[in-house]
Amino acid sequence: MNRKGLTILCLLLALVWVSGCATTDTSKKPYRLSEQGMLIWNDEYEFIVPPVGWKVIQVESGGEFGFGFLRSDPGPYPSQSMFVYDEEPFGCSLNFGEREEEFFKRYLWSASISMNIKVLERKKINIVGGEGLAVIAEGRDSVKKEKVRSKIVFGKRGERVVSWYLTQWRHADSTFDLATFDVFDKWVDSFKFLKKSFYETL
Amino acid sequence: MEGHQRNLYLYDRFNARVLGVSRDDVITLKYWAKSLDITFPLLSNVTGFLGFYFGVGPSPEIKGFPVFSRRTIIIDKRGIIRYVRDGSPDFKDVLLFLKKLNEEGGKP
Repeated sequence: MNRKGLTILCLLLALVWVSGCATTDTSKKPYRLSEQGMLIWNDEYEFIVPPVGWKVIQVESGGEFGFGFLRSDPGPYPSQSMFVYDEEPFGCSLNFGEREEEFFKRYLWSASISMNIKVLERKKINIVGGEGLAVIAEGRDSVKKEKVRSKIVFGKRGERVVSWYLTQWRHADSTFDLATFDVFDKWVDSFKFLKKSFYETL
Repeated sequence: MEGHQRNLYLYDRFNARVLGVSRDDVITLKYWAKSLDITFPLLSNVTGFLGFYFGVGPSPEIKGFPVFSRRTIIIDKRGIIRYVRDGSPDFKDVLLFLKKLNEEGGKP
């Protein structure tokens, strides 16, 4: 507690129980188009505009807000795809491997009854000028007869781990649309941070 | 709590320590901390005296159950309460306040 003889502060906190939810944005638009046709979000992020049919959403996760795009897909419920940028992905570690493990403890926990998620692929990548980790996973809820395929990309913004992820939901008997994952990859590859994050300015 | 866990390295940088207080019993907190990978201390305050000591009453939203309202309190090195906010913690506000307090504490 008294290391280096420096000031000691003590922070007491009431417990906070945080849950996540997604809402469609109906307030003023937080984005604009650049002269080059790129989408600028809150003057902080830049990326390509997704193809026609993707609806803007803002996503609450881990107590922070991210944003992304949602599309209803043809086929029986729950056919839809969604990809987002999340500044505060589940978990706490600054290390990709540990963060992935922490992330999957809670990922999609509220959307399923019994989702058995399995990682199909894991590889190191380059993202926004630094190292990253891309993970592809699938899960199946045998009770609700639904399945999901996800790609999660972990990257760094300053010291902290951020993520981009795509979730594609299908009825258990339907097939996944893998072309959507190419749309997601292009979106992630185009991503740029236009300024330092709050944490980098501390 | 996960947000505080995420910010531990920054709290350390600002010479701050974080404690969680709850009316849950020790066994519940132990498993809850494990599920969220929480490594900072969580205090089990089953009787509720600590909540009342810091002016935190039962939640008006959950009547009939011994559940505290949420409150974030920052105490400086002299034991003086410097920051009180109700509701879910504003992590960025907490960090800015701790940074300021640390700079203030470093002066002669």
